[in-house]
Amino acid sequence: MGGFYFKFKREMRKIGVEHKSILMLLAGFLMLTSCEEVIDLDLQKAGPRIVIDGSISNQNENHVVRISKTIPFDAPNTFNGLKGAKVSLITPGGTSVSLSEISDGIYRSPQFRGTPGMTYKLEVIAEGRVYTASSTMPYPVLPDSISFKKLSFFGNTRIYPNVYYKDPAKVQNQYRYILKVNDKQQADIVFEDRFNDGNNVSDLIIYDSEDDLKPGDVLNIEMQTIDRNVFKYYYAIGQIKGENGPPVAPANPESNFSNGTLGIFNAFTKSSVTITLK
Amino acid sequence: MLMLRIKNILRVFIILMVFSINVKAQENFTITGLITDSLSGETLIGVSLKFTGKTQLGTSTNAYGFYSYKLSPGEYTLSVSYIGYRSVNKKINVDKDIRLDLKMIPDNVLDEIIISSEKRNDNLINAQMGIAKVNLSEIKNVPVLFGERDILKTIQLIPGIKPAGEGNSGFYVRGGAADQNLILLDEAPVYNASHLLGFFSTFNSDAIKDVSVYKGGMPAQYGGRLSSVLDIRMNDGNKKEYTAEGGIGLISSRLKVEGPLSKDKSSFMISGRRTYADAFLAFSGDSSIKNNTLYFYDLNAKANYQIDSKNTLYMSGYFGRDELGLNETFGFGWGNATATLRWNHLFSNRLFSNTSLIYSNYDYKIENFLEENSFKVNSSIRDLNLKQDFQLSLNNSHNLRFGTDLIYHRIRPGEVQPGEKSSVNLIAVEDRKGSEIAAYISDEWEVNEKLNIVYGLRTSSFMLLGPGNFSSFDRSGNITATSFYQDGKLVKSYFNLEPRISAAYQLNEEASFKGSYTRNSQNLHLMSNSTASSPTDLYIMSSNNVKPELADQISLGYFRNFNDDKFEFSTEVYYKKLQRQIEYRSGTDLRANTNVEADLLYGDGRAYGIEFFLKKRFGKLNGWLGYTLSRTERKFDEIENENWFLAKQDRTHDLSVVGIYKAGERWTLSSTFVYNTGNAVTFPAGKYQLNNNTVFYYSKRNSDRMPNYHRLDFSATLEGKPGRKVNSSWSFGIYNLYNRKNAFSIDFRDDPDDASKTQAVRTTLFGIIPSVTWNFKF
Repeated sequence: MGGFYFKFKREMRKIGVEHKSILMLLAGFLMLTSCEEVIDLDLQKAGPRIVIDGSISNQNENHVVRISKTIPFDAPNTFNGLKGAKVSLITPGGTSVSLSEISDGIYRSPQFRGTPGMTYKLEVIAEGRVYTASSTMPYPVLPDSISFKKLSFFGNTRIYPNVYYKDPAKVQNQYRYILKVNDKQQADIVFEDRFNDGNNVSDLIIYDSEDDLKPGDVLNIEMQTIDRNVFKYYYAIGQIKGENGPPVAPANPESNFSNGTLGIFNAFTKSSVTITLK
Repeated sequence: MLMLRIKNILRVFIILMVFSINVKAQENFTITGLITDSLSGETLIGVSLKFTGKTQLGTSTNAYGFYSYKLSPGEYTLSVSYIGYRSVNKKINVDKDIRLDLKMIPDNVLDEIIISSEKRNDNLINAQMGIAKVNLSEIKNVPVLFGERDILKTIQLIPGIKPAGEGNSGFYVRGGAADQNLILLDEAPVYNASHLLGFFSTFNSDAIKDVSVYKGGMPAQYGGRLSSVLDIRMNDGNKKEYTAEGGIGLISSRLKVEGPLSKDKSSFMISGRRTYADAFLAFSGDSSIKNNTLYFYDLNAKANYQIDSKNTLYMSGYFGRDELGLNETFGFGWGNATATLRWNHLFSNRLFSNTSLIYSNYDYKIENFLEENSFKVNSSIRDLNLKQDFQLSLNNSHNLRFGTDLIYHRIRPGEVQPGEKSSVNLIAVEDRKGSEIAAYISDEWEVNEKLNIVYGLRTSSFMLLGPGNFSSFDRSGNITATSFYQDGKLVKSYFNLEPRISAAYQLNEEASFKGSYTRNSQNLHLMSNSTASSPTDLYIMSSNNVKPELADQISLGYFRNFNDDKFEFSTEVYYKKLQRQIEYRSGTDLRANTNVEADLLYGDGRAYGIEFFLKKRFGKLNGWLGYTLSRTERKFDEIENENWFLAKQDRTHDLSVVGIYKAGERWTLSSTFVYNTGNAVTFPAGKYQLNNNTVFYYSKRNSDRMPNYHRLDFSATLEGKPGRKVNSSWSFGIYNLYNRKNAFSIDFRDDPDDASKTQAVRTTLFGIIPSVTWNFKF
């Protein structure tokens, strides 16, 4: 039943109705004949495409832009960094800050702080083409508290972190959470306030790991406020995975870069909390 | 302008009709009547009648078992035949108008080959093409999943009709989408025809009398959907005696009771079914398992009253529901309710009228009980429908049908209601209201002994009505204007003319050519870009942003019977052009979305193919073989740079074989085999890392294929010894006999044991599944 549980985590998404997990459940109930199996598939190998993953935060830190190229499906998961790109962040005043390449494909800015409410632009010149994107840094929203919630699904009881905060009224807000357990990333999910604008909200951080949280685990939860396009980008990635409803026909998420390249430029605010589970 | 166009078209139509009706001086007489089953008194639909005099002429009974035919005076031999019944031959002398009601005796032993002298070749003569009739006795014997007889699964074995997925009762017809099928149960549209997310259809075959599917050449009396019409009629109820029948299966049980309310005048039928899959849960000691619910039930009921030989009333209804609950955290229920009130009236022995008042409602409810996020969602689509149909037999070569159809739609996309302590806000998405007004006229014209033509015209107008705020959007989905409309005020209207024509030319006694052209329009659109259908799929109406979908279909066919009509062969080619098809942008959230139209994309479609069908109609061994070779494509400005790409329903090859063998007195063995090319899908063509997550890169849309699908099923039915008071039978079935692991889905993910790798994971829903059902009748 572990598989069902795993599938059912998505049930708990706000209004999500996880179609496939219900199907699996039904089929499983009816005859317990459904099964999952790893198979070999001969997939197409499209020529490499450029991927830009850039961000700027409201913290006084080095902002990082990662530029890479896609790799074939059957290659090992590596960051296929792209060397020698010219990367600059353009501040609202028009000042261009260039980023220096610290290792293959990783470009870093000098330390400075982004300002909420401002629109930042990222310009990348790679392999003779110019890619630009802009993102507006939202105002920060801080978590009030974090609690843990016990939920049972099909014989499995698990605990999940639950983040409480006050959503600013009459503004469209989008949130992203990155959960690390013992320094290992376990969740990267986005929420919006469409259903709870202006309220005291609690967001449940559902994590992928097959392992349950246990006493002694060190949790780091980073809460971000992100702009609408960034939210839609991550939402689309989740949708293809079947979060928030039946899986949709897969397509590349809509990027905020010109030239239709892959990736996203995210101007965000962040606050993070570290807790040791007792 | 528009009115002028309509007038011109109507004028042409009238001229055509006047010309074609050759006014003869000779006086003709009308023969009319009702054809019923001699044991139960059920009216019989589609019974073939042939009048052999100097020439051979023919007609068939309509959906109410009624026929009317105009003949010149003289002596005729009337031959009446219907599958599963003994043929009737009768000499008639036509010297006045005749009322002739006939009772047909069922053939208990279906297989006994009574090759009668008369031809059973209606399939050649009839101008209608692209039609498939499913015999209820075939449905009874075709093996199905879990032993649940299922109309929708059985029609998927017909060429041109393909299942939407493994074990799914959703279907695609000739490259159309699942929402382009008009599914009618006693004339009431059924918006979600599946239970348990598609494993079972809402149609309990105990309660069904007749099933017809139109894949092409749609008659003018049907409209509102682009691709097909599935017309299902319920049993009226036994007029002679009380009977009960039912079945006990592994996951569900059924019971049907019927009988006369007043003998030969009035009868009723009630049929119910419920699953008990969740009963197994109770055995679990774990409360988080025990407290889940999962079941569906449905109820069909019908009553009729024959007031006199000219008036009959019918009342029928359907109610079904699915309930799913997860351990006090999540509840989900959905279902249809339909009701039909019909009045058959004979104005004269030449003019038959049917008036129907129809109600249909589909709704779903979602409840989340998690404290801070608790909420309820209610969503529904409701139709009120008034239909008037006339059938007029003009003379022995013209049969007219005309009528009107008024529908009032109300769509409630969903209201999110917060629970106590919930942080969710009340979100109300406005209801949408609209009316469809259609009128049609068609003429079935026997030009001569060789040529039969059905031609007609349907006009369809749609009006989107207030109240509400209606926004317009630019190409990138931004609101350009919003205006408020009062209750009942017209927001937008559309008008479409839908010509329909089909013709059959009989080459000889055993072969004919047929051709047809039809245009259909559709004003209700199902929003679903998902890979499978879901009870929460959203319907929208045509609006200031969304235009009606249009389809033009041309088909040509060759029909041939062999061996005294024992074998029937047909092949049809079709080309279908679809306009204003709808997709939506990636990342669109349909849940309680007030501006869903902002995220829609519009494009074209085309579908073409060739279908082969060979059927053995009588004998100890019967069954059929169907094969389709086809292609279905779509083209959108915003997708694939305006290039044609394969639609998700594209399947190159599709083969089905059905065999039913009557082995001795009591055993019936049957088997089906299906094979089809895997669906067109999009698989990753690469991958990249984004914040420590693997994200897949997709290149051309739907340029990959799921693995080919094939499966062999088997079933055996043992009838009880004849002559007993309680008639019982056992059905044994094996689904997926050789345990083929067909892919329901293929997902891509990081290897859970080694994060440096990615893997493809195939989910198989059903391996080999045995089933057993006990059926009884008394």
